[in-house]
Amino acid sequence: MREYPIEHNKIVSELLDGKFIISPSPLFYTIQELEDDYTEFFIKSFNYKLNLEAEFIYLSSDEVNEKRTRDFTLFLAILSRELDYSGKNFRDKIELGSFDINETEELLRQSSKWEILEKTTVSEFDKFIKTWRSKNLIEIDGNKFKFTKAVKLFFTFAMEIAEEKLKEKTNEEKATA
Amino acid sequence: MIKLSGKYILKFLQNHYEFVQDAFNYSKPDFIIDSNILEKLIEEYNISNDPKISVTKLIDVKFCRQLPTKDFKINRSYADFLQFLFDDFTLDLPQTLKERYKTIFELFTALKTEPKASKTIVLIQNIINIIDVFLNDIHRQTQRLLSDTESLKVNADEYSDLSKRLEKAVFWIDEYIEPLNKILEKGHPESFYSALVEIQKYTSEKQYIADSFKLKREYNKLYGSVVYARAELDQNLQKLTRELRPLLDRIKSDSIILSGFYHFVENVDYPENYIVPIPSPIKKTKGSAIFKEFYSEAEFFVDQFNYKTSAVYYEEQVEELEWLPDSTYFKEQLLKEDKVEDFYLWCFDALKKHTDEITLSKYFSLTNLLLEEDLIAEYKTDERITIDLKDASIKIPKVRVYERVSN
Repeated sequence: MREYPIEHNKIVSELLDGKFIISPSPLFYTIQELEDDYTEFFIKSFNYKLNLEAEFIYLSSDEVNEKRTRDFTLFLAILSRELDYSGKNFRDKIELGSFDINETEELLRQSSKWEILEKTTVSEFDKFIKTWRSKNLIEIDGNKFKFTKAVKLFFTFAMEIAEEKLKEKTNEEKATA
Repeated sequence: MIKLSGKYILKFLQNHYEFVQDAFNYSKPDFIIDSNILEKLIEEYNISNDPKISVTKLIDVKFCRQLPTKDFKINRSYADFLQFLFDDFTLDLPQTLKERYKTIFELFTALKTEPKASKTIVLIQNIINIIDVFLNDIHRQTQRLLSDTESLKVNADEYSDLSKRLEKAVFWIDEYIEPLNKILEKGHPESFYSALVEIQKYTSEKQYIADSFKLKREYNKLYGSVVYARAELDQNLQKLTRELRPLLDRIKSDSIILSGFYHFVENVDYPENYIVPIPSPIKKTKGSAIFKEFYSEAEFFVDQFNYKTSAVYYEEQVEELEWLPDSTYFKEQLLKEDKVEDFYLWCFDALKKHTDEITLSKYFSLTNLLLEEDLIAEYKTDERITIDLKDASIKIPKVRVYERVSN
Protein backbone atom coordinates (compact mmCIF):
# COMPACT_ATOMS: atom_id res chain seq x y z
CA MET A 1 0.00 0.00 0.00
CA ARG A 2 1.41 3.41 -0.92
CA GLU A 3 2.02 6.16 1.57
CA TYR A 4 -0.25 9.18 1.66
CA PRO A 5 0.81 12.67 2.75
CA ILE A 6 -0.31 13.75 6.23
CA GLU A 7 -2.82 16.21 4.71
CA HIS A 8 -4.38 13.55 2.45
CA ASN A 9 -7.68 13.40 4.30
CA LYS A 10 -8.02 17.17 4.33
CA ILE A 11 -7.10 17.49 0.66
CA VAL A 12 -9.66 14.91 -0.42
CA SER A 13 -12.48 16.19 1.76
CA GLU A 14 -11.95 19.85 0.83
CA LEU A 15 -11.81 19.14 -2.88
CA LEU A 16 -14.81 16.82 -2.72
CA ASP A 17 -16.69 19.58 -0.92
CA GLY A 18 -16.26 21.52 -4.15
CA LYS A 19 -13.77 23.93 -2.56
CA PHE A 20 -10.96 25.69 -4.34
CA ILE A 21 -7.58 25.22 -2.68
CA ILE A 22 -5.65 28.41 -3.02
CA SER A 23 -1.94 29.17 -2.75
CA PRO A 24 -0.24 29.76 -0.32
CA SER A 25 -2.18 27.07 1.55
CA PRO A 26 0.17 24.18 2.46
CA LEU A 27 -2.39 21.84 0.84
CA PHE A 28 -1.76 23.62 -2.46
CA TYR A 29 1.93 22.80 -2.45
CA THR A 30 1.36 19.18 -1.37
CA ILE A 31 -0.98 18.61 -4.32
CA GLN A 32 1.44 20.42 -6.61
CA GLU A 33 4.24 18.05 -5.59
CA LEU A 34 2.03 14.99 -6.06
CA GLU A 35 0.18 16.26 -9.11
CA ASP A 36 0.31 13.00 -11.11
CA ASP A 37 -0.74 10.86 -8.15
CA TYR A 38 -3.70 13.05 -7.23
CA THR A 39 -4.81 13.45 -10.85
CA GLU A 40 -4.99 9.69 -11.16
CA PHE A 41 -6.58 9.29 -7.74
CA PHE A 42 -9.49 11.61 -8.46
CA ILE A 43 -10.16 10.42 -11.98
CA LYS A 44 -10.09 6.73 -11.02
CA SER A 45 -12.05 7.07 -7.79
CA PHE A 46 -14.64 9.66 -8.78
CA ASN A 47 -14.19 10.42 -12.47
CA TYR A 48 -13.33 14.01 -11.49
CA LYS A 49 -10.68 16.05 -13.22
CA LEU A 50 -8.06 17.70 -11.01
CA ASN A 51 -7.34 21.21 -12.32
CA LEU A 52 -4.04 22.60 -11.17
CA GLU A 53 -3.77 26.27 -12.09
CA ALA A 54 -0.97 28.70 -11.23
CA GLU A 55 -2.62 29.88 -8.02
CA PHE A 56 -5.50 27.52 -7.25
CA ILE A 57 -6.67 23.94 -7.55
CA TYR A 58 -10.18 22.50 -7.96
CA LEU A 59 -12.04 19.44 -9.14
CA SER A 60 -14.29 19.56 -12.17
CA SER A 61 -16.55 17.19 -13.98
CA ASP A 62 -18.10 17.36 -17.44
CA GLU A 63 -21.19 15.72 -16.07
CA VAL A 64 -21.87 18.56 -13.70
CA ASN A 65 -24.52 20.98 -14.86
CA GLU A 66 -24.12 23.42 -12.07
CA LYS A 67 -26.54 26.32 -12.30
CA ARG A 68 -24.88 28.03 -9.40
CA THR A 69 -21.61 28.29 -11.34
CA ARG A 70 -23.54 29.89 -14.16
CA ASP A 71 -25.04 32.30 -11.60
CA PHE A 72 -21.62 33.16 -10.21
CA THR A 73 -20.31 33.87 -13.71
CA LEU A 74 -23.31 36.09 -14.38
CA PHE A 75 -22.74 37.92 -11.13
CA LEU A 76 -19.08 38.50 -11.95
CA ALA A 77 -19.84 39.55 -15.52
CA ILE A 78 -22.40 42.13 -14.48
CA LEU A 79 -20.30 43.39 -11.58
CA SER A 80 -17.34 43.87 -13.96
CA ARG A 81 -19.58 45.72 -16.40
CA GLU A 82 -20.96 48.05 -13.73
CA LEU A 83 -17.48 48.80 -12.35
CA ASP A 84 -16.20 49.53 -15.85
CA TYR A 85 -19.16 51.80 -16.59
CA SER A 86 -18.50 53.79 -13.44
CA GLY A 87 -14.97 54.42 -14.68
CA LYS A 88 -13.25 52.05 -12.24
CA ASN A 89 -10.53 49.64 -13.18
CA PHE A 90 -12.68 46.55 -12.72
CA ARG A 91 -9.88 44.00 -12.75
CA ASP A 92 -7.84 45.74 -10.05
CA LYS A 93 -10.91 46.20 -7.94
CA ILE A 94 -11.98 42.56 -8.25
CA GLU A 95 -8.55 41.01 -7.91
CA LEU A 96 -7.28 43.26 -5.13
CA GLY A 97 -10.03 45.36 -3.57
CA SER A 98 -12.80 44.63 -1.14
CA PHE A 99 -16.54 45.23 -1.57
CA ASP A 100 -19.20 46.32 0.86
CA ILE A 101 -21.88 43.61 0.72
CA ASN A 102 -24.87 45.98 0.87
CA GLU A 103 -23.39 48.53 -1.53
CA THR A 104 -22.57 45.81 -4.04
CA GLU A 105 -26.09 44.42 -3.88
CA GLU A 106 -27.42 47.94 -4.43
CA LEU A 107 -25.08 48.47 -7.40
CA LEU A 108 -26.34 45.26 -9.00
CA ARG A 109 -29.98 46.06 -8.31
CA GLN A 110 -29.60 49.39 -10.10
CA SER A 111 -28.05 47.70 -13.14
CA SER A 112 -30.19 47.29 -16.24
CA LYS A 113 -29.13 43.64 -16.12
CA TRP A 114 -30.71 43.06 -12.71
CA GLU A 115 -33.69 41.49 -14.44
CA ILE A 116 -31.41 38.60 -15.35
CA LEU A 117 -29.80 38.33 -11.91
CA GLU A 118 -33.06 38.47 -9.99
CA LYS A 119 -34.07 35.12 -11.51
CA THR A 120 -30.91 33.48 -10.17
CA THR A 121 -29.44 32.62 -6.78
CA VAL A 122 -27.85 36.09 -6.76
CA SER A 123 -31.25 37.50 -5.78
CA GLU A 124 -30.67 36.35 -2.19
CA PHE A 125 -27.39 38.15 -2.06
CA ASP A 126 -26.26 37.40 1.51
CA LYS A 127 -26.86 33.71 1.03
CA PHE A 128 -25.21 33.77 -2.38
CA ILE A 129 -22.06 35.37 -0.97
CA LYS A 130 -21.93 32.86 1.89
CA THR A 131 -22.33 29.91 -0.48
CA TRP A 132 -19.33 31.00 -2.48
CA ARG A 133 -17.35 31.65 0.65
CA SER A 134 -17.81 27.99 1.49
CA LYS A 135 -16.16 27.21 -1.88
CA ASN A 136 -13.22 29.55 -1.15
CA LEU A 137 -14.09 31.85 -4.06
CA ILE A 138 -14.95 34.67 -1.69
CA GLU A 139 -13.68 35.79 1.72
CA ILE A 140 -15.99 37.63 4.08
CA ASP A 141 -14.86 40.12 6.70
CA GLY A 142 -17.69 41.73 8.64
CA ASN A 143 -19.83 43.52 6.10
CA LYS A 144 -17.21 43.34 3.40
CA PHE A 145 -16.15 40.63 1.01
CA LYS A 146 -13.32 40.10 -1.41
CA PHE A 147 -12.60 37.61 -4.14
CA THR A 148 -9.87 35.00 -3.82
CA LYS A 149 -7.40 34.26 -6.60
CA ALA A 150 -9.76 31.55 -7.89
CA VAL A 151 -11.83 34.33 -9.51
CA LYS A 152 -9.25 34.33 -12.30
CA LEU A 153 -10.79 31.08 -13.55
CA PHE A 154 -13.84 33.06 -14.65
CA PHE A 155 -11.76 35.80 -16.26
CA THR A 156 -10.00 33.13 -18.29
CA PHE A 157 -13.40 31.76 -19.31
CA ALA A 158 -14.44 35.23 -20.55
CA MET A 159 -11.18 35.66 -22.46
CA GLU A 160 -11.65 32.29 -24.15
CA ILE A 161 -15.18 33.22 -25.26
CA ALA A 162 -13.97 36.57 -26.63
CA GLU A 163 -11.09 34.96 -28.49
CA GLU A 164 -13.39 32.36 -30.04
CA LYS A 165 -15.77 35.14 -31.07
CA LEU A 166 -12.89 37.08 -32.63
CA LYS A 167 -11.84 33.98 -34.58
CA GLU A 168 -15.43 33.53 -35.76
CA LYS A 169 -15.57 37.14 -36.87
CA THR A 170 -12.25 36.91 -38.74
CA ASN A 171 -13.41 33.75 -40.51
CA GLU A 172 -16.68 35.42 -41.50
CA GLU A 173 -14.79 38.41 -42.86
CA LYS A 174 -12.49 36.13 -44.84
CA ALA A 175 -15.48 34.27 -46.24
CA THR A 176 -17.17 37.47 -47.43
CA ALA A 177 -13.94 38.99 -48.79
CA MET B 1 1.88 94.86 -48.16
CA ILE B 2 4.85 93.98 -50.35
CA LYS B 3 6.88 91.80 -48.07
CA LEU B 4 5.51 89.66 -45.26
CA SER B 5 7.28 90.23 -41.95
CA GLY B 6 7.63 87.84 -39.05
CA LYS B 7 6.13 90.37 -36.66
CA TYR B 8 3.07 90.68 -38.89
CA ILE B 9 2.52 86.91 -38.85
CA LEU B 10 2.86 86.76 -35.06
CA LYS B 11 0.41 89.64 -34.71
CA PHE B 12 -2.03 87.81 -36.99
CA LEU B 13 -1.76 84.68 -34.82
CA GLN B 14 -2.21 86.66 -31.65
CA ASN B 15 -5.18 88.67 -32.91
CA HIS B 16 -6.99 85.68 -34.35
CA TYR B 17 -5.84 82.95 -31.98
CA GLU B 18 -9.32 81.37 -31.56
CA PHE B 19 -10.02 81.37 -35.27
CA VAL B 20 -6.66 79.78 -36.05
CA GLN B 21 -7.29 77.09 -33.45
CA ASP B 22 -10.73 76.28 -34.92
CA ALA B 23 -9.38 76.12 -38.47
CA PHE B 24 -6.50 73.95 -37.26
CA ASN B 25 -8.89 71.51 -35.52
CA TYR B 26 -11.16 71.20 -38.54
CA SER B 27 -8.25 70.59 -40.88
CA LYS B 28 -6.70 67.69 -38.96
CA PRO B 29 -5.15 65.23 -39.64
CA ASP B 30 -4.11 66.20 -43.20
CA PHE B 31 -4.41 69.98 -42.62
CA ILE B 32 -6.89 70.31 -45.47
CA ILE B 33 -10.15 72.15 -44.82
CA ASP B 34 -13.32 72.17 -46.88
CA SER B 35 -13.95 75.62 -48.45
CA ASN B 36 -17.54 75.75 -47.14
CA ILE B 37 -16.40 75.02 -43.60
CA LEU B 38 -13.68 77.65 -43.81
CA GLU B 39 -16.14 80.28 -45.03
CA LYS B 40 -18.58 79.38 -42.28
CA LEU B 41 -15.83 79.65 -39.66
CA ILE B 42 -14.88 83.08 -41.00
CA GLU B 43 -18.50 84.24 -40.98
CA GLU B 44 -19.10 83.10 -37.40
CA TYR B 45 -15.83 84.56 -36.21
CA ASN B 46 -16.50 87.95 -37.82
CA ILE B 47 -19.84 88.35 -35.99
CA SER B 48 -18.17 88.95 -32.66
CA ASN B 49 -14.59 89.87 -33.48
CA ASP B 50 -12.72 92.90 -34.68
CA PRO B 51 -10.49 93.20 -36.73
CA LYS B 52 -12.29 90.95 -39.17
CA ILE B 53 -10.81 88.11 -41.16
CA SER B 54 -11.20 87.12 -44.82
CA VAL B 55 -9.98 84.40 -47.17
CA THR B 56 -7.80 86.98 -48.93
CA LYS B 57 -6.20 87.93 -45.65
CA LEU B 58 -5.52 84.28 -44.85
CA ILE B 59 -3.82 83.83 -48.21
CA ASP B 60 -1.87 87.11 -47.72
CA VAL B 61 -0.30 85.90 -44.50
CA LYS B 62 0.33 82.54 -46.20
CA PHE B 63 -1.82 80.76 -43.63
CA CYS B 64 -3.33 78.62 -46.39
CA ARG B 65 -3.63 78.23 -50.12
CA GLN B 66 -6.45 76.92 -52.26
CA LEU B 67 -6.14 73.55 -53.97
CA PRO B 68 -7.62 72.80 -57.43
CA THR B 69 -10.38 70.91 -55.58
CA LYS B 70 -11.38 74.23 -53.91
CA ASP B 71 -10.31 72.89 -50.50
CA PHE B 72 -7.82 74.93 -48.51
CA LYS B 73 -4.50 73.52 -47.37
CA ILE B 74 -2.84 74.98 -44.30
CA ASN B 75 0.77 75.97 -44.90
CA ARG B 76 3.16 73.29 -43.59
CA SER B 77 5.19 75.77 -41.52
CA TYR B 78 2.01 76.96 -39.79
CA ALA B 79 0.78 73.40 -39.30
CA ASP B 80 4.03 72.38 -37.58
CA PHE B 81 4.11 75.46 -35.38
CA LEU B 82 0.40 75.16 -34.48
CA GLN B 83 0.81 71.51 -33.48
CA PHE B 84 3.53 72.65 -31.12
CA LEU B 85 1.46 75.63 -29.98
CA PHE B 86 -1.66 73.61 -29.17
CA ASP B 87 0.31 70.57 -27.99
CA ASP B 88 -1.76 68.52 -30.39
CA PHE B 89 0.28 66.35 -32.72
CA THR B 90 -0.71 64.12 -35.57
CA LEU B 91 0.62 60.58 -35.74
CA ASP B 92 2.99 59.61 -38.53
CA LEU B 93 3.25 55.96 -39.40
CA PRO B 94 6.54 54.55 -38.13
CA GLN B 95 7.43 53.55 -41.71
CA THR B 96 7.56 57.27 -42.55
CA LEU B 97 9.89 57.89 -39.63
CA LYS B 98 12.04 54.97 -40.69
CA GLU B 99 12.55 56.34 -44.18
CA ARG B 100 13.49 59.69 -42.67
CA TYR B 101 16.16 58.36 -40.32
CA LYS B 102 17.71 56.14 -42.98
CA THR B 103 19.18 59.26 -44.56
CA ILE B 104 21.29 59.64 -41.42
CA PHE B 105 23.16 56.45 -42.32
CA GLU B 106 23.75 57.73 -45.85
CA LEU B 107 24.98 61.13 -44.68
CA PHE B 108 27.19 59.56 -42.03
CA THR B 109 28.80 57.19 -44.57
CA ALA B 110 29.45 60.19 -46.82
CA LEU B 111 30.90 62.16 -43.91
CA LYS B 112 33.45 59.45 -43.09
CA THR B 113 34.89 59.48 -46.63
CA GLU B 114 34.55 63.19 -47.49
CA PRO B 115 37.99 64.75 -48.15
CA LYS B 116 36.88 68.40 -48.51
CA ALA B 117 36.50 70.42 -45.30
CA SER B 118 33.74 72.66 -46.70
CA LYS B 119 31.59 69.67 -47.71
CA THR B 120 32.28 67.99 -44.35
CA ILE B 121 30.83 71.00 -42.55
CA VAL B 122 27.64 70.90 -44.64
CA LEU B 123 27.27 67.17 -43.99
CA ILE B 124 27.67 67.67 -40.22
CA GLN B 125 25.07 70.44 -40.19
CA ASN B 126 22.67 68.21 -42.12
CA ILE B 127 23.11 65.32 -39.71
CA ILE B 128 22.50 67.62 -36.74
CA ASN B 129 19.29 68.85 -38.38
CA ILE B 130 17.99 65.40 -39.19
CA ILE B 131 18.67 64.15 -35.66
CA ASP B 132 16.79 67.14 -34.34
CA VAL B 133 13.80 66.61 -36.61
CA PHE B 134 13.74 62.94 -35.76
CA LEU B 135 13.89 63.56 -32.02
CA ASN B 136 11.04 65.99 -32.38
CA ASP B 137 9.06 63.37 -34.33
CA ILE B 138 9.60 60.69 -31.70
CA HIS B 139 8.66 63.08 -28.94
CA ARG B 140 5.46 64.07 -30.74
CA GLN B 141 4.50 60.46 -31.35
CA THR B 142 5.06 59.45 -27.76
CA GLN B 143 3.10 62.40 -26.38
CA ARG B 144 0.23 61.78 -28.75
CA LEU B 145 0.09 58.04 -27.99
CA LEU B 146 0.25 58.73 -24.26
CA SER B 147 -2.64 61.19 -24.30
CA ASP B 148 -4.75 58.97 -26.57
CA THR B 149 -4.08 55.94 -24.40
CA GLU B 150 -5.07 57.87 -21.30
CA SER B 151 -8.36 58.74 -22.93
CA LEU B 152 -8.91 55.08 -23.83
CA LYS B 153 -8.17 54.12 -20.24
CA VAL B 154 -10.68 56.47 -18.68
CA ASN B 155 -13.36 55.21 -21.06
CA ALA B 156 -13.90 58.50 -22.84
CA ASP B 157 -17.32 58.48 -24.48
CA GLU B 158 -16.09 57.78 -27.95
CA TYR B 159 -14.57 54.52 -26.74
CA SER B 160 -17.54 53.29 -24.72
CA ASP B 161 -18.01 50.60 -27.34
CA LEU B 162 -15.83 47.73 -26.18
CA SER B 163 -14.89 46.37 -29.56
CA LYS B 164 -13.77 49.84 -30.67
CA ARG B 165 -11.61 50.17 -27.57
CA LEU B 166 -10.07 46.76 -28.21
CA GLU B 167 -9.53 47.51 -31.89
CA LYS B 168 -7.80 50.79 -31.05
CA ALA B 169 -5.48 49.21 -28.47
CA VAL B 170 -4.51 46.38 -30.85
CA PHE B 171 -3.99 48.85 -33.71
CA TRP B 172 -1.68 51.08 -31.68
CA ILE B 173 0.36 48.18 -30.39
CA ASP B 174 0.80 46.61 -33.83
CA GLU B 175 1.15 49.74 -35.92
CA TYR B 176 2.97 52.12 -33.62
CA ILE B 177 4.48 50.74 -30.44
CA GLU B 178 6.08 47.64 -31.98
CA PRO B 179 7.58 49.41 -35.03
CA LEU B 180 8.69 52.37 -32.90
CA ASN B 181 10.41 49.98 -30.54
CA LYS B 182 12.21 48.42 -33.47
CA ILE B 183 13.40 51.78 -34.78
CA LEU B 184 14.73 52.65 -31.35
CA GLU B 185 15.94 49.18 -30.36
CA LYS B 186 19.39 49.43 -28.82
CA GLY B 187 20.83 46.10 -29.95
CA HIS B 188 19.70 46.29 -33.57
CA PRO B 189 22.49 47.35 -36.01
CA GLU B 190 20.09 49.24 -38.28
CA SER B 191 18.17 51.08 -35.60
CA PHE B 192 18.29 54.82 -35.13
CA TYR B 193 19.85 54.22 -31.74
CA SER B 194 22.77 52.29 -33.28
CA ALA B 195 23.31 55.11 -35.76
CA LEU B 196 23.63 57.51 -32.84
CA VAL B 197 26.11 55.25 -31.04
CA GLU B 198 28.24 55.03 -34.20
CA ILE B 199 28.24 58.79 -34.70
CA GLN B 200 29.07 59.39 -31.05
CA LYS B 201 32.09 57.08 -31.25
CA TYR B 202 33.32 58.74 -34.43
CA THR B 203 32.86 62.34 -33.29
CA SER B 204 34.24 61.87 -29.78
CA GLU B 205 37.62 61.32 -31.42
CA LYS B 206 37.26 63.74 -34.31
CA GLN B 207 36.42 66.70 -32.09
CA TYR B 208 40.06 66.55 -30.88
CA ILE B 209 41.99 65.35 -33.94
CA ALA B 210 40.26 67.10 -36.84
CA ASP B 211 42.49 69.21 -39.11
CA SER B 212 41.28 72.69 -38.30
CA PHE B 213 39.76 74.52 -35.37
CA LYS B 214 36.57 75.13 -37.36
CA LEU B 215 36.18 71.41 -38.10
CA LYS B 216 36.87 70.51 -34.46
CA ARG B 217 34.12 72.90 -33.43
CA GLU B 218 31.65 71.36 -35.93
CA TYR B 219 32.44 67.82 -34.75
CA ASN B 220 32.02 69.02 -31.18
CA LYS B 221 28.53 70.35 -32.00
CA LEU B 222 27.57 67.03 -33.60
CA TYR B 223 28.95 65.15 -30.60
CA GLY B 224 26.85 67.28 -28.24
CA SER B 225 23.70 66.76 -30.31
CA VAL B 226 24.18 63.00 -30.36
CA VAL B 227 24.75 62.68 -26.61
CA TYR B 228 21.66 64.80 -25.98
CA ALA B 229 19.65 62.75 -28.47
CA ARG B 230 20.59 59.48 -26.74
CA ALA B 231 19.40 60.78 -23.39
CA GLU B 232 16.14 62.03 -24.96
CA LEU B 233 15.57 58.71 -26.68
CA ASP B 234 16.15 56.80 -23.45
CA GLN B 235 13.41 58.84 -21.84
CA ASN B 236 11.01 58.25 -24.73
CA LEU B 237 11.83 54.54 -24.84
CA GLN B 238 11.08 54.34 -21.16
CA LYS B 239 7.69 55.94 -21.73
CA LEU B 240 6.96 53.57 -24.59
CA THR B 241 8.04 50.34 -22.98
CA ARG B 242 7.35 50.96 -19.31
CA GLU B 243 4.19 53.03 -19.49
CA LEU B 244 2.46 52.80 -22.84
CA ARG B 245 2.96 49.16 -23.69
CA PRO B 246 1.72 47.75 -20.34
CA LEU B 247 -1.16 50.21 -20.34
CA LEU B 248 -2.28 49.21 -23.81
CA ASP B 249 -1.81 45.51 -23.05
CA ARG B 250 -3.94 46.01 -20.00
CA ILE B 251 -6.69 47.82 -21.94
CA LYS B 252 -6.54 45.06 -24.52
CA SER B 253 -6.95 42.19 -22.06
CA ASP B 254 -9.53 44.06 -19.94
CA SER B 255 -11.61 44.72 -23.04
CA ILE B 256 -11.30 41.07 -24.02
CA ILE B 257 -12.62 39.98 -20.62
CA LEU B 258 -15.52 42.44 -20.76
CA SER B 259 -16.50 41.48 -24.29
CA GLY B 260 -16.34 37.77 -23.35
CA PHE B 261 -18.61 38.43 -20.39
CA TYR B 262 -20.89 40.43 -22.68
CA HIS B 263 -21.35 37.46 -25.02
CA PHE B 264 -21.93 35.21 -22.04
CA VAL B 265 -24.65 37.43 -20.53
CA GLU B 266 -26.34 37.90 -23.88
CA ASN B 267 -26.47 34.15 -24.49
CA VAL B 268 -27.03 33.04 -20.94
CA ASP B 269 -30.10 30.99 -21.83
CA TYR B 270 -28.40 29.33 -24.78
CA PRO B 271 -25.30 27.57 -23.43
CA GLU B 272 -24.55 26.20 -26.91
CA ASN B 273 -23.73 29.78 -27.95
CA TYR B 274 -21.03 30.30 -25.28
CA ILE B 275 -18.74 28.28 -27.61
CA VAL B 276 -16.44 27.63 -24.66
CA PRO B 277 -17.79 25.36 -21.91
CA ILE B 278 -18.44 27.16 -18.64
CA PRO B 279 -16.09 26.13 -15.78
CA SER B 280 -17.56 23.13 -14.05
CA PRO B 281 -16.28 22.88 -10.49
CA ILE B 282 -18.02 19.99 -8.75
CA LYS B 283 -20.80 20.25 -6.18
CA LYS B 284 -20.31 19.05 -2.68
CA THR B 285 -19.87 15.26 -2.86
CA LYS B 286 -20.40 13.30 0.30
CA GLY B 287 -19.84 9.59 0.64
CA SER B 288 -17.13 7.03 0.25
CA ALA B 289 -14.76 6.67 -2.59
CA ILE B 290 -16.42 4.06 -4.79
CA PHE B 291 -16.11 3.02 -8.37
CA LYS B 292 -18.53 4.68 -10.74
CA GLU B 293 -19.52 1.33 -12.22
CA PHE B 294 -20.41 0.00 -8.78
CA TYR B 295 -22.47 3.10 -8.08
CA SER B 296 -24.58 2.71 -11.22
CA GLU B 297 -25.11 -1.03 -10.59
CA ALA B 298 -26.13 -0.36 -7.00
CA GLU B 299 -28.48 2.38 -8.17
CA PHE B 300 -30.09 -0.02 -10.63
CA PHE B 301 -30.52 -2.62 -7.87
CA VAL B 302 -32.05 -0.15 -5.41
CA ASP B 303 -34.31 1.28 -8.07
CA GLN B 304 -36.20 -2.02 -8.29
CA PHE B 305 -37.65 -1.41 -4.83
CA ASN B 306 -38.41 2.16 -5.49
CA TYR B 307 -42.14 2.37 -6.15
CA LYS B 308 -42.75 5.82 -4.78
CA THR B 309 -42.54 8.92 -6.86
CA SER B 310 -39.16 10.40 -6.27
CA ALA B 311 -38.98 13.43 -4.08
CA VAL B 312 -36.26 15.99 -4.52
CA TYR B 313 -34.40 17.23 -1.50
CA TYR B 314 -32.25 20.25 -1.67
CA GLU B 315 -29.46 20.15 0.78
CA GLU B 316 -28.79 23.56 2.25
CA GLN B 317 -25.21 24.43 2.78
CA VAL B 318 -24.36 24.64 6.44
CA GLU B 319 -21.99 27.49 6.98
CA GLU B 320 -19.05 26.93 9.19
CA LEU B 321 -18.90 29.87 11.49
CA GLU B 322 -15.34 30.93 11.72
CA TRP B 323 -14.51 33.66 14.16
CA LEU B 324 -13.09 36.65 12.30
CA PRO B 325 -11.44 39.67 13.87
CA ASP B 326 -13.42 42.89 14.16
CA SER B 327 -11.60 45.11 11.71
CA THR B 328 -13.01 48.34 13.16
CA TYR B 329 -11.48 47.52 16.56
CA PHE B 330 -8.10 46.71 15.07
CA LYS B 331 -8.15 49.78 12.87
CA GLU B 332 -8.64 51.92 15.98
CA GLN B 333 -5.66 50.19 17.57
CA LEU B 334 -3.62 50.80 14.44
CA LEU B 335 -4.49 54.49 14.34
CA LYS B 336 -3.53 54.84 17.99
CA GLU B 337 -0.01 53.74 17.06
CA ASP B 338 0.53 56.91 15.01
CA LYS B 339 2.95 55.12 12.67
CA VAL B 340 3.63 51.38 12.28
CA GLU B 341 7.01 50.47 10.82
CA ASP B 342 6.25 46.84 9.97
CA PHE B 343 2.53 46.55 9.25
CA TYR B 344 2.31 42.78 8.64
CA LEU B 345 4.24 41.94 11.78
CA TRP B 346 2.03 44.36 13.72
CA CYS B 347 -1.09 42.50 12.46
CA PHE B 348 0.39 39.20 13.61
CA ASP B 349 1.30 40.55 17.06
CA ALA B 350 -2.09 42.27 17.45
CA LEU B 351 -3.94 39.04 16.66
CA LYS B 352 -1.62 37.05 18.92
CA LYS B 353 -2.91 39.10 21.88
CA HIS B 354 -6.40 37.67 21.23
CA THR B 355 -5.85 34.16 19.96
CA ASP B 356 -3.16 31.52 19.44
CA GLU B 357 -4.98 30.09 16.46
CA ILE B 358 -4.12 32.59 13.75
CA THR B 359 -5.48 31.24 10.48
CA LEU B 360 -4.89 32.62 7.03
CA SER B 361 -8.40 34.05 6.80
CA LYS B 362 -8.12 35.75 10.22
CA TYR B 363 -4.77 37.17 9.26
CA PHE B 364 -5.90 38.37 5.85
CA SER B 365 -9.07 39.90 7.17
CA LEU B 366 -6.83 42.07 9.34
CA THR B 367 -4.18 42.83 6.71
CA ASN B 368 -7.03 44.06 4.49
CA LEU B 369 -6.84 47.24 6.54
CA LEU B 370 -4.04 48.17 4.14
CA LEU B 371 -6.71 48.85 1.50
CA GLU B 372 -8.46 51.45 3.64
CA GLU B 373 -8.38 54.81 1.91
CA ASP B 374 -7.34 56.81 4.95
CA LEU B 375 -4.16 54.80 5.46
CA ILE B 376 -0.93 55.29 3.58
CA ALA B 377 1.36 52.31 2.95
CA GLU B 378 5.05 52.67 2.08
CA TYR B 379 7.16 49.77 0.84
CA LYS B 380 10.72 50.46 1.88
CA THR B 381 12.80 47.42 1.00
CA ASP B 382 12.61 44.17 -0.94
CA GLU B 383 13.30 42.31 2.29
CA ARG B 384 10.81 39.54 3.15
CA ILE B 385 10.22 37.75 6.42
CA THR B 386 8.39 34.50 6.98
CA ILE B 387 5.41 34.32 9.30
CA ASP B 388 4.04 30.95 10.41
CA LEU B 389 0.28 30.87 10.68
CA LYS B 390 -1.82 27.94 11.75
CA ASP B 391 -2.61 26.83 8.21
CA ALA B 392 0.08 28.48 6.12
CA SER B 393 3.55 29.97 6.08
CA ILE B 394 3.72 33.21 4.21
CA LYS B 395 6.51 35.50 3.10
CA ILE B 396 5.71 39.12 3.65
CA PRO B 397 7.38 42.45 2.87
CA LYS B 398 8.12 45.20 5.34
CA VAL B 399 5.50 47.90 4.95
CA ARG B 400 5.27 51.15 6.85
CA VAL B 401 1.74 52.41 7.51
CA TYR B 402 0.45 55.71 8.80
CA GLU B 403 -2.73 57.73 8.72
CA ARG B 404 -3.45 59.98 5.75
CA VAL B 405 -3.66 63.59 6.81
CA SER B 406 -6.95 64.82 5.41
CA ASN B 407 -7.11 68.19 3.67
